[in-house]
Amino acid sequence: MYLYNEFDQTLVNERVEQYRDQTTRYLNGELTEEQFRPLRLMNGLYIQTHAPMLRVNIPYGLLSSKQLRMLAHISHKYDKDYGHFTTRQNMQFNWPELERVPDILADLASVQMHSIQSSGNCIRNTTSDPLAGVCADEIEDPRPYCEIIRQWSTLHPEFSYLPRKFKIAVSGSPKDRAATQVHDIGLHVKKDEAGQVGFEVLVGGGLGRTPVIGQTIAPFIAEEDLLSYLEAILRTYNRFGRRDNKYKARIKILVRETGLDTFKEQVEQEWASIKDGQLKLTNDNIQRVKNYFTPLNYETANDEALEQHLANSGAFRQWFQQNTKAHKQAGYHVAFISLKSPTCPPGDITNVQMERVADLADQFSFGQIRTTHDQNLALTDVKSSDLYALWQQLTAQKLATANIGTITDMICCPGLDFCSLANASSIDIAQGITDRFTDSAIDTGNISLKMSGCMNGCGHHSIGEIGILGVDKKGEQWYQLTLGGSDSHQSKLGERLGKAIAKDDVVDAIDDIVHVYKANRTDNEDFASTLQRIGLQPFKDKVYDAH
Amino acid sequence: MTLIKNSEIVQDHWAVLDENQALQADHNIIDLDYWNANKDALIASKAPLGLLVQGDTSPDQFIDNIQHFELIAINFPSFVDGRGYSLAKTLREKHHYTQEIRAVGEVLPDQALYLTRVGFDALELSTKEAGLLALEKLNEFSVFYQAAAN
Repeated sequence: MYLYNEFDQTLVNERVEQYRDQTTRYLNGELTEEQFRPLRLMNGLYIQTHAPMLRVNIPYGLLSSKQLRMLAHISHKYDKDYGHFTTRQNMQFNWPELERVPDILADLASVQMHSIQSSGNCIRNTTSDPLAGVCADEIEDPRPYCEIIRQWSTLHPEFSYLPRKFKIAVSGSPKDRAATQVHDIGLHVKKDEAGQVGFEVLVGGGLGRTPVIGQTIAPFIAEEDLLSYLEAILRTYNRFGRRDNKYKARIKILVRETGLDTFKEQVEQEWASIKDGQLKLTNDNIQRVKNYFTPLNYETANDEALEQHLANSGAFRQWFQQNTKAHKQAGYHVAFISLKSPTCPPGDITNVQMERVADLADQFSFGQIRTTHDQNLALTDVKSSDLYALWQQLTAQKLATANIGTITDMICCPGLDFCSLANASSIDIAQGITDRFTDSAIDTGNISLKMSGCMNGCGHHSIGEIGILGVDKKGEQWYQLTLGGSDSHQSKLGERLGKAIAKDDVVDAIDDIVHVYKANRTDNEDFASTLQRIGLQPFKDKVYDAH
Repeated sequence: MTLIKNSEIVQDHWAVLDENQALQADHNIIDLDYWNANKDALIASKAPLGLLVQGDTSPDQFIDNIQHFELIAINFPSFVDGRGYSLAKTLREKHHYTQEIRAVGEVLPDQALYLTRVGFDALELSTKEAGLLALEKLNEFSVFYQAAAN
């Protein structure tokens, strides 16, 4: 993985001292609330319902065991012994004290981490495929490009007061595991006929109040032009994006109102003047970063011991089938660590679990951990013969729930319990669904369920096969259901099932939906295919007739 | 007002044309409307002239006349409006404007460094205190991932 040199470390250290001074001046009354706001946001600090919330960047979802131990330490020293993984592969702490945040940032800097631009109207942490570098279908490892983007976007002087936040995701495989189509910019690694690496560039995707699937603005941009093309898009957005209404300030609205063709002309005009300037990447620039992501030192291994364990233990077999994936290296597997256990809010992890996962990463997976868009973790390089031992130790930590991809592996925002924007709670609904489906989840088959406590859509409800959106109706919490969304390489927005449902009926309604699916599916038909074949009506009938 | 130019607090010789539109002898900062209405006379007077624009003013509106201006002042109606940063960068990088680009309006000390990195060489701060703080803030970072605009 990428390691800071003296330059990177100096920058992060200076950032800590800058923020320490800003915090002191705010506490002394030398900065107003309004003036301090963008400064704290650009260091990841929100003011939430109960306390500030600090969001820490995990660049493209890659962590070393040492870094994960530091997150455990921070959660223990400054917070309430747990952290929360987000859909953008970051970690949030829900209870830090504003006064101590500079110390947290200093602790993060000591392990080459930061929270720079993890919120605010600026370029956020670049996200990517959690299986980068290990999946067989990969065209090229996206992580070096993510790191190049991280450096270019960090403390970018021109793009720190954008109309609104700006998110970039990069996928190196045809199968999109980074939700790139619902990002402000989505990048897909491509190769041209000569084998030259480049990117298909998507623009204007996003969730929130106005969910939009991103459109292709450029079918192929050569890797050397990556940063100049991004800069051209950002400059065009910074100049022309709306600033009169924050709900219309994202680039998706600009693209829609301008029209993709005109927007593209503006970008290309801008690009023409900077394309061959300082941002042009040389082979050396790219190779320097690529050298940090060379293949790991895999041993010659096989699956013999694994086969033995699979034959002997049903529980292990179930976990293996649900929570592991093939690896491009023979004799290795990817193991997902589910953070959706029946006893814990989705995406939460305790400090003790973090410590243990760090140990397991050291023991079994080259000391590296990935965070996923689905709010789980992955050890991506586990020898097949070690899987059984890994499973046993994960089980002891309640981290072996065999539910990856199932209905209980849901994406969920913190909701009304923590978030000052939320209209409705999501954690208790999640708990209800978990209780209802834990025993039948695997038998039900994979269904992506995503839930947000308000229309800002942090829980990505619009692209869930089952989406749940919390709404406020005259002070009461109601829930709007959608079906048929997708976050795959052909992302799709879900369709509204009907009128909103009262809180007490939500879990039953989900149960009804699952029943209709199970009653109508052919042998191995997945949820999306059944829905497409039979349409929305049978689901509507069942849900609304019953309630 | 306190003016910082090239990382020093300096005396400001320029005056912004006010509502009464009374010119001083020279070093007037005028806006585009005034320029368009009085262009010939202003050129004939040969007095040093500055132009005040907004962050969302398109360079197309003045770029053909830019040789007449010794100073371009870019106004920030609010400190969170980042359009002026892109305009300054564009003037430096694309149009190779080498004279003074001044940030005016709501400019905060914590923004001084980013402003200078995109090409502002002059910053107008609201008070002497703010000016002194801005000078300090110019030295907060010794390293940058992005090249500075010249």
